[in-house]
Amino acid sequence: MAKRITIDPMTRIEGHLKIEVEIENGKVKDAWSTGTMARGFEALLLGKDPRDAPYVVSRFCGICFSVHQVASARALEAAFGAQVPPGGAHLRNLIMGAEYIYDHMLHFYHLSALDYIDIMAVADYQGKDRELNNVKGRIMELVRQNDVYPLLPRYKPDEYCVSDPEAAISAVKHYLDALRMQVRAKNMGAIWGARTPHYQSIVVGGFTQYPDLNQVARFRSMLDDLNVFVTEIYIPDVMAFGTGPLLPLAKAGLGAGHLNYIAYGSGAGALDESGNRLFKPGVIKGFKDPSTMKIEPFDQKKITESVHSSWYKKDAPKHPYEGEQVFDLDRENAYSFVKSPRYENTPMELGPFARALIDQNPTILDLIKNQGFRPGVVARHAARALETKRLISAMYRWLDELTEEMLKPGFKIHDKEHWEPPAEGEGVGFFEAPRGALGHWVRIKDHKIANYQAVVPSTWMSSPRDEHGQRGQYEEALIGVPVPDPENPINIVRVIRSFDPCMACAVHLIDPRTNEIRRFTVE
Amino acid sequence: MMNSFDNLSRRDFVKLCGTIAAAVGLSDLFSIEQIANALESAAKKPPVIWLEGQDCAGCTHSLISLEDPTPWTFILDEVSIRYHETIMAAAGSLAEKSKEDAIKEGGYILIVEGSIPEADDRFCTVGGRTFKDILIEASRKAEVIICAGSCSSFGGIPAATPSKGVPVSKIITDKPIINLSTCPVHMDHITGTILYYLLTRKVPPLDKHKRPLMYFGSYIHDNCRRRAHFDAEEFLTDWNDPDQKDWCLYEMGCKGTETYSDCPIRKWNNGISFCIDAGAPCQGCAEPGFYPGFSPLYKSI
Repeated sequence: MAKRITIDPMTRIEGHLKIEVEIENGKVKDAWSTGTMARGFEALLLGKDPRDAPYVVSRFCGICFSVHQVASARALEAAFGAQVPPGGAHLRNLIMGAEYIYDHMLHFYHLSALDYIDIMAVADYQGKDRELNNVKGRIMELVRQNDVYPLLPRYKPDEYCVSDPEAAISAVKHYLDALRMQVRAKNMGAIWGARTPHYQSIVVGGFTQYPDLNQVARFRSMLDDLNVFVTEIYIPDVMAFGTGPLLPLAKAGLGAGHLNYIAYGSGAGALDESGNRLFKPGVIKGFKDPSTMKIEPFDQKKITESVHSSWYKKDAPKHPYEGEQVFDLDRENAYSFVKSPRYENTPMELGPFARALIDQNPTILDLIKNQGFRPGVVARHAARALETKRLISAMYRWLDELTEEMLKPGFKIHDKEHWEPPAEGEGVGFFEAPRGALGHWVRIKDHKIANYQAVVPSTWMSSPRDEHGQRGQYEEALIGVPVPDPENPINIVRVIRSFDPCMACAVHLIDPRTNEIRRFTVE
Repeated sequence: MMNSFDNLSRRDFVKLCGTIAAAVGLSDLFSIEQIANALESAAKKPPVIWLEGQDCAGCTHSLISLEDPTPWTFILDEVSIRYHETIMAAAGSLAEKSKEDAIKEGGYILIVEGSIPEADDRFCTVGGRTFKDILIEASRKAEVIICAGSCSSFGGIPAATPSKGVPVSKIITDKPIINLSTCPVHMDHITGTILYYLLTRKVPPLDKHKRPLMYFGSYIHDNCRRRAHFDAEEFLTDWNDPDQKDWCLYEMGCKGTETYSDCPIRKWNNGISFCIDAGAPCQGCAEPGFYPGFSPLYKSI
């Protein structure tokens, strides 16, 4: 007899998510993913000055705010015919990089790691290290006060949790160190972003802050600290977990789901679009192993969104620009505010692991070929950590290039000639956000926003079933996951958190007025 | 009792209290000894319930953006966070039970991030219940309600969406409410307001929009370092021109003349910068009219 359990709220993610599963013989037999909050941002933008959009859409999400700012600015730049000067592009690149670093580190240590560490094992630490004993002292003091919130209560640790006292206490120390380091990354972003979260300096056509060399030096100094932490702590921790206690989960491919992957490929920063892309675009369907993996070119025209199981007025699947969705909270059989994006009717995974496969990242391919890793929870964490290092290397390059630009006569950060909104226009802006491929579409009429639409990575992955009965990636990834004790569904939260869900981003409402077929040029 | 500061000497402890007070702007209001004594005499850490409605988690992220004291000091040592969806270890019914237990015990600080959907309660549900119900229940035994950010303070951006977000003060009318209304909440404002309350058990003096005067007592314009350029009628019109880079942003749409906040003095992210320092006009995020009332954002008012 199948037993149904519900996890609501799904915590340590961004936003409001409910997960329901049916368990039979200790394994998940079926699953449902539900976005339980909606605001309706895009409708708010209709009739507004298009230049407002990057500022407003930043508020989709307080964690991955600037990705929306940049995608929105790019869509508008296409519509305005604006060109971001190299100076403005480098500055955007650098603050986007700062966001990537803090977002990825925070995800591993503060949103995920508590599922892999038996935090109470620190009590048994007998070593002499002064700093580790200080950590032990602090945790034990909380225990003595009988107040270990918010670290307790928790699901009971299982055999995959790090329970060796030495390893556990190091991990807890790194959890605390990472709290400080994510502040450092936010400070770094604020040097040119004005403040973190919600940067202020990204505008249509470029950037608002004229930089100076002191800021470059300050940024570089902070980047040095973060580079040390990511290289010497974050990546080694993820690798030690992944090839240590979690190796059985990595080999079993826990939480793999549909083995379809997509990246739009416009890497961090406008400059990377002209030649030196950080991430490649591509599509992989039905991944089996690296030797037979086929990477197809990405074509944005093949994206559709379904509202089959969503609380919107019934409609057939449509390209992001053709849809006619209005809320219908009473619709029968609907169970989520999230729509169901599909590529050629196929559910996809996006994000660091998808990018690593499409980029044919040698370290990830080596983990698969030689360490026995399969796609899934552990591979996602590994890809995210390795990608952070790639970003940092690129940021050093951008800093050098920015400095070089700054010293040239006529240094520019903004396209002033294309600042006024055109009477008519349309455009799409893509960005590879920390959680995966992101697209914003905009249409301008009478100098105002006539339509606005964003298709967001977490929408793809947290989506409900489509008209073909295909589950979204979160749902599919849960099928077969072992849940030996329904009171302690620790594997379920591990699977869901490995995607780094961002539900405030995932839920959108678009305007009922658009029913034309829209065409957009893809880079 | 010294909470988790047992391994600190009294001298170190007092020094730490001074750092905290200075960081969040309370050192002018209380002596360091007063702060140290208040922290020491607390019988147990004050419980906090942090609810998220129609939010973006930006205020949560702002909370953990303070360098000194570190986020760890606040989260583990200063208060007892009994419920916070983004931070807590527990999930699902285990998380909900933690909240229910805290509500039963009462006497907590309730912090709310995000608005409440007025168009239909079902636009925001958690644990199968509408957010509105959850808020009403949690408010009953709260000592004080702190609204973190523009959405819970005034409705914020969701106010103008089809879900019609409304502020906490529209739902809860029988409890002391403190509005910290920037978007997101300022890291110093949230930490300092909590500390003020813990030290005095009183709501700080507020303006007519329930914002603490210690943070929202003057216009941004009054303390702006570009003010001299405003007076000289030197207005920035080209972000590329190094000669104009420190000029007044009024022509680019700055709302500093209508916005109350101490941003120009305090700045953001541990004193690194703030909107106007970055050449970006103030967009009035601390004011009740934000955002639609200030659109178009990049045109002068």
